Amino acid sequence: MPYHYNTPEDKQAMLSAIGAESVDVLFDSIPAELKLGRRLDLPPALSELELDQHLRELASRNTPAGEAVCFLGAGSYDHFIPAVVDTIGSRSEFYTSYTPYQAEASQGNLQVMFEYQSLITELTGLDVSNASLYDGASAAAEAVLMAISATGRHGKVIVPESLHPEYRATIATYLENLATEVVTIPTSGGVVDPEILSEAVDEETAAVVLQQPNFFGCVEDAAEVNRITKKAGALLIAVFDPMSLGVLKRPGDYGANIAVAEGHTLGSPMAYGGPYLGIMACEKSLVRRMPGRIAGQTVDRRGNTCFVLTMQTREQHIRREKATSNVCTNQGLFALRATVYLAQLGPQGLRETASLCLQKSRYAAEQLCQHERFSLAFEEPTFKEFVIRDRENRVDDLLKSALDRGYLAGLPLGRWYPELADCFLVAVTEKRTKAEIDGLVSTLTKASERVSVPATV
Amino acid sequence: MRNSRDTQLLCELSRPGRRAARLPACDVPERDIADLLPTEATASSPPALPEVTEPQIVRHFVNLSTMNMSVDTHFYPLGSCTMKYNPKRNERAAAMPGFADLHPCQPEETIQGMLALLYEMQEYFQEISGLPACSLQPAAGAHGELTALLVAAAYFKDLGENRSKVLVPDNAHGTNPASAAMAGYRSITVKTTSDGFVDMADLASKLDDEVAVMMITNPSTLGLFEPHMREIADQVHARGGLIYLDGANMNAILGITRPGDWGADMQHYNPHKTFSGPHGGGGPGAGPICVIEKLAPYLPTPIVRKEDSLYALDFNLPKTIGRVRSFFGNVGVLVRAYAYIRTHGPDGLREVSENAVLNANYLLSRVKHILPVPQGNRCMHEFVASANTLKKDKGITAMDIAKRLLDYGFHAPTVYFPLTVPEAMMCEPTESESKETLDAFAEVLFRITEEDAELLHDAPHSTAVSRPDEVRAARQPVLTWAALSEAN
Ligand SMILES: Cc1ncc(COP(=O)(O)O)c(C=O)c1O
Repeated sequence: MPYHYNTPEDKQAMLSAIGAESVDVLFDSIPAELKLGRRLDLPPALSELELDQHLRELASRNTPAGEAVCFLGAGSYDHFIPAVVDTIGSRSEFYTSYTPYQAEASQGNLQVMFEYQSLITELTGLDVSNASLYDGASAAAEAVLMAISATGRHGKVIVPESLHPEYRATIATYLENLATEVVTIPTSGGVVDPEILSEAVDEETAAVVLQQPNFFGCVEDAAEVNRITKKAGALLIAVFDPMSLGVLKRPGDYGANIAVAEGHTLGSPMAYGGPYLGIMACEKSLVRRMPGRIAGQTVDRRGNTCFVLTMQTREQHIRREKATSNVCTNQGLFALRATVYLAQLGPQGLRETASLCLQKSRYAAEQLCQHERFSLAFEEPTFKEFVIRDRENRVDDLLKSALDRGYLAGLPLGRWYPELADCFLVAVTEKRTKAEIDGLVSTLTKASERVSVPATV
Repeated sequence: MRNSRDTQLLCELSRPGRRAARLPACDVPERDIADLLPTEATASSPPALPEVTEPQIVRHFVNLSTMNMSVDTHFYPLGSCTMKYNPKRNERAAAMPGFADLHPCQPEETIQGMLALLYEMQEYFQEISGLPACSLQPAAGAHGELTALLVAAAYFKDLGENRSKVLVPDNAHGTNPASAAMAGYRSITVKTTSDGFVDMADLASKLDDEVAVMMITNPSTLGLFEPHMREIADQVHARGGLIYLDGANMNAILGITRPGDWGADMQHYNPHKTFSGPHGGGGPGAGPICVIEKLAPYLPTPIVRKEDSLYALDFNLPKTIGRVRSFFGNVGVLVRAYAYIRTHGPDGLREVSENAVLNANYLLSRVKHILPVPQGNRCMHEFVASANTLKKDKGITAMDIAKRLLDYGFHAPTVYFPLTVPEAMMCEPTESESKETLDAFAEVLFRITEEDAELLHDAPHSTAVSRPDEVRAARQPVLTWAALSEAN
């Protein structure tokens, strides 16, 4: 067997030390009638070579970014991953260790957590960060729970339609059996409407969740949303795109009390949606309500600086049902990757990456809109994504024919927004070249010629 | 050998003007940022990240890595965590561009291989648990607990039943009561006896029509198979409640017995334990759940379906609880688990459990002469020893022993869990350790108990740092570089 050692001789020696006749006897505590009594119905074992061939065959039935040009976004993006991130992320002293319960034997991981927390606070402009949560959506739901407990307001939380639909769905699931209602407010022109928000937010409101840039890629008037939110005494939860902070204001700078994000873009692959990295930062006053692991610096018995898991009285293993959250396993390896990634980029690299996303996406939008079939669904400025309206209302055909020519051209929005059934979301990262963007534009415009012919017959 | 110059904090290594990444020149006509974005929204300068070079980064993190113990470097018998070998072929599999570079919203026709793998995983998890429906969405064990409890809540709501309680044995993992509370339930503790089993009288006194779910860990956190399992399930079912199985300990029973066959209605898996997903210094994991037929309509969506030879995502479950996260699930972890299951096949998986249980019993047979194991002579995949006598006699605690083990090159067992055993030391050797390693561990443990108490109180002596001042860390939290300069 591949990964265990016991030879027949070992087994004999071990069994006699135990005082058992056979391995079967060791399972005697399981009542006989509960035993399976047959072999599991699973495919037979594969050698490493066969496994490799089989997995390659499965993988070959997929079309990854790289084989098709990826303009898909909506919370998962095809950003570049520098080699250093893979090198450090594949150090098995990191990836084969557990949560650092024994601090003395885990200073590497603990210092990485501390550095990660520090970088996230620099990034967000907030005081503290935890050591990671599962993903952006569950981090948003945890932030909402935190806001409810911090404000003592159990009435409602407000989520604009411009918040990622899957984030809204996750928040709704988390709150389903609690007293708090999730109130979804419509947007105007792709962004929060201050009047509608002012109407909705009241003294029962625990928080407003603002995505900046929002699901449609539009830049919201965050300062205004914050003003309205704070006037009612509610907390502002910002859902941010880490990459955008190379050019946009940080959540802490526009008044967010809690900031959460999907952090896979900081050095981890799209991997069909996970594992990802849930980022969470908050103001100092909220730290004891924070979910998840937190590392802190202290001194050891010899007076040396060292790191340790801290404020554990918030956590499930100490507080059980009174814990701030049930989270135990987090996304440590992805926090490590994000730490390496941010160190590799540095301030200038982050600025330049953000700027490339901005310039290239705006170029792509402009080029597409030169064609009469396409227009921007919203006029608000965008960062790296934008919504294109297809005047012929044939989004599925259009995207299908683009795919045939090697482009993952965009995401149809009808599934989440029936009123946007004629629209699709396009994301352009720093990886996309001008040639690829021009290729996308010419493909979509050609596709449009091809599909529009039979439509007029 | 560690070089401590380069394990200074990144902020200390930083010098203005240094940089690692160079980005391509912008190849589209560039415009002034002020023309593209409203000035109120833009930052005048980027966040103050450290400025370091690539060689510095590599030296920094590689040196930090040497300050960890890990499965690849040390025996790591951390009970309940199943620190088994993490196969390298799994890592290679997950990194294949055909899996790693897939966007979660790609059209189904471009991800047929991915969906085939995920469909198979649903089937495998169902077969191993004996439960007929599966959701791969949850991101970790605790997330699976929460998801399943929300599924149960939706089911009861649909039946029009108002049930507010979840029963949790006192030796359960902390995530169980925490998940119950998050799902909107009241968590009620059920006692266990000194043998480590559910106290049937206490259960009877707490089981009523308001109980929605009883969560049970079987084999338990003491590494024992619950002898009253069937009875417990029958009693809970008789009052209309459901049984949730905390599947953290599946490594003991693969192919031997199945939760669905003893009355479990729902369970999670920890593929990062049982199916060799590496723990990553804290994560990621995954928390797929399996449930009985009548709970299937409430599972999160999407679910992978197979129609003829095509795979498709089914979002159309009218009674679904919705989502518990974005996108499909922790797919990278599931790819590793798939590689692990395919490598073993049905006989191999059974052998995993047989060897895990053999190793644990062997270690138990050696350790019980050194430290008493209150709950008996036999165990499943792990056992809980107690340093209580040593503490009374010599003042040596479980923590002292744990710390001293580090000096001898062994990671410590889980200590002070479960809470029902005083001075608990929970040992889980897993199947991927040799007899020699187990012998060496037992010998070292014996040697430690003979050592001078003072020496142990001050242990570890050979690690990069000695015991941290945890009280200071909690009372005067220093959680970031910025706080560091404030503190000085
Ligand atoms: C018995 C038990 N239950 C539940 C969990 C929670 O699983 P996870 O850490 O994957 O959330 C663990 C793991 O730590 C465990 O040991």
